[in-house]
Amino acid sequence: MPGWRSPIRAHLLRWLVGPLPAAYRNTPQSGRSSPPRIWTLLRDLFHAVVGRRAGAVSLVLGACLVAAIACAPSEASAQAGDANAGKAVYERKCALCHGSKGDGKGPAAELLDPKPRDFTSGVYKIRTTANKVPSDQDLFRIVTAGMPGTSMPPWDVLPEKDRWNVVAYIKAFAAEKFKEAPKKLDLPKDVSSSEASIKRGKEMFEAIECHKCHGTAGRADGPSRPELKDDWGHPIPPANLTKRWTFRGGASRTDIATRIANGVLGTPMPSFIDSVEKPEDVWHLTNYILSLGPDRPAYATLVTINGTTDAIPDDPNADFWKKAAPNHVPLMAQVIIDPRNFNPAIDLLIVRGAYNDKEIVFHLTWDDPSQTAGDAAKKIAADAVALQFPSKIVPGTERPYFLMGDATDSVYLLRWEGGKASEATANGPGKIKALDGGEITSKTVYDNGQYRVVIRRPLAGKGDERPALQPATFVPVAFHASDGGAGESGAKGSLTSWYYLRLEPPQSNRRFVVPPVVALLTLVAMLLVVRAASRGRN
Amino acid sequence: MMRKALAGFAAVALVAGTAWFVAPHHAIAQGGGTVEVEVKYNGAADVQVIKVNKDTEQCGKEAKVENVVVGGGKGLANAVASIAGAKGAATAKKATMDQKGCSFHPHVVGMTPGEIDILNSDGILHNIHTYSTANASINKAQPKFKKTMTEKFEKPEFIKVTCDVHSWMLGWIAVMPHPYFGVTNAEGVAKIENAPAGKQTVEVWHEKLGKVTKDVEVKPGATTKVTVEMVKK
Repeated sequence: MPGWRSPIRAHLLRWLVGPLPAAYRNTPQSGRSSPPRIWTLLRDLFHAVVGRRAGAVSLVLGACLVAAIACAPSEASAQAGDANAGKAVYERKCALCHGSKGDGKGPAAELLDPKPRDFTSGVYKIRTTANKVPSDQDLFRIVTAGMPGTSMPPWDVLPEKDRWNVVAYIKAFAAEKFKEAPKKLDLPKDVSSSEASIKRGKEMFEAIECHKCHGTAGRADGPSRPELKDDWGHPIPPANLTKRWTFRGGASRTDIATRIANGVLGTPMPSFIDSVEKPEDVWHLTNYILSLGPDRPAYATLVTINGTTDAIPDDPNADFWKKAAPNHVPLMAQVIIDPRNFNPAIDLLIVRGAYNDKEIVFHLTWDDPSQTAGDAAKKIAADAVALQFPSKIVPGTERPYFLMGDATDSVYLLRWEGGKASEATANGPGKIKALDGGEITSKTVYDNGQYRVVIRRPLAGKGDERPALQPATFVPVAFHASDGGAGESGAKGSLTSWYYLRLEPPQSNRRFVVPPVVALLTLVAMLLVVRAASRGRN
Repeated sequence: MMRKALAGFAAVALVAGTAWFVAPHHAIAQGGGTVEVEVKYNGAADVQVIKVNKDTEQCGKEAKVENVVVGGGKGLANAVASIAGAKGAATAKKATMDQKGCSFHPHVVGMTPGEIDILNSDGILHNIHTYSTANASINKAQPKFKKTMTEKFEKPEFIKVTCDVHSWMLGWIAVMPHPYFGVTNAEGVAKIENAPAGKQTVEVWHEKLGKVTKDVEVKPGATTKVTVEMVKK
């Protein structure tokens, strides 16, 4: 669960008296209703220890009781927060973005996208209630877990009591709205995932036209995307359903079903509970959305590309590439030099590759909701990605400045822009020099909000400015990406710091031959020894 | 001196009393009249034309955003004329608003507090997204198979309605506290039927031009014509 870390005491308490954290997450106070684990624990302890050392039993019992008593009151009183106490916490931790008046206009608000919540409106995106009023638990949960994909961090570093107090204070900004009692949303009965359920979910996805905003493949590239605005008139992108770790209100089954049923208040996402064919379709849709992508990507720490003796295909959709191991590389905002880009459009690059004794082929996959070839007249740049290597790969850990090098140490860029690959050297973002005469080819596929690109380059570097990529060494590599359709270009995009690329030499078939032969010979030798020994005895 | 003051007081009280008597009782006066309100606008029409990038089969290739529609003789369409401060029972007929050709029909629908049927004649996904303050705002999907959706608006207000799937779609639901209202047609004329007789104030509301009022004497059993002019804000 992203960002869901609680103080150790809370964990201990939950383990003693409450259900698992998963259940806790949705209903933080529901621990009371489940069978207290402390009794089973005490019973087990009693059975284990009684009759041997009664003193130990009473000691353990006493310790447990003391622990339970010490922890219980704080949890019980936590729910009803004290708005006055919350004010102090708010001023210290929240006001910078949300503003001291709670109107979402703090000093940092200007830089943020999505904008911080305006608490005076009383409108909250994420709620588990059937009416507009979120429950205290809904607010507490967002404060605690943060909102993935936004600037709202998880505030689980604050004591639980402080968080409840902040919730009370936040509510006070729209006291009028909170006069209405929150009404719990009743979800239809859960339908567990199955092939049939996913199929039904897909049918419903098409019937209720989720693709209008979320795209046919769920990659947030629907035709209505450019028009979407929130209730405050700010552009708002639809969720990329293949990246559920960025879902604002969490990625659990219940979270997703609740968003479908309830909508996301203040945004274009409508409520569907009355607009599916049968209520349980909400769960079929949930199961389908869960089938669209992983929980979260397994980010690479080392970019590995395997050697091959087979032909390396040009077609980005070839089966060959589906079998190649993906390296998931997270991209960060470029916020070091102007123009800074606080909210980058591309947050993930999937790098695959293959090489043989002559050439290296990179296969890159990334989501971009708008295919943009660039238009100089309208000042729209083409979509672009680049792989960056030091111009000279030297032993040791010293590398050029990761942001396209500097005056003393240049970098080599293997670029792809709007469908064309090229090479360049750079001594900083403003000093890029195109390299002509290379043997670079590329092939591009754009499909439902996703680019798949194959870039081919000779393994050996031609001239001084192109580094040779040596197998079985650690080659520094960094990545850049920009989405022209989102107004990005050049350094105004997203990037990584240096990674290492390792070209793994093709593994010969000897590994399948040598160990069995050795094993066989060992067996034979053993048999011979056994035979010799038994003969000797006779 | 004392007598004069008393007489003065009595006169004032009489006038005030009559005024009080006249105003509210008109609302329940027997035998109402028809008020034909002609709304004129001196400014230019404001209708944006937008290129449509989806659902062209239903929406057409171009969509219109009808901000200010001016008909023949400078008549202002889509304005709501009503008798200010009147009281009356809700109309029996349920109001309807249709989504056809990716636009709301009518552009402004008047209703008394209660239910409204929202139709989807297009047979594609629309979403009813209201921007209301007195009533709870709603944002409900209306997929192709959901032909009718019934919503309830209990409190009088002018509610903006949009569809996020087709961002150019814009409509208004005028929830009126009484049945004495009418929406101007393409020529800028609205009829208020059965309006309470006597001195009344006609209030005209337009989504972009705001509110204008004009006094009128409603004659029972007859049609009273009144022209109201709206000016560019």
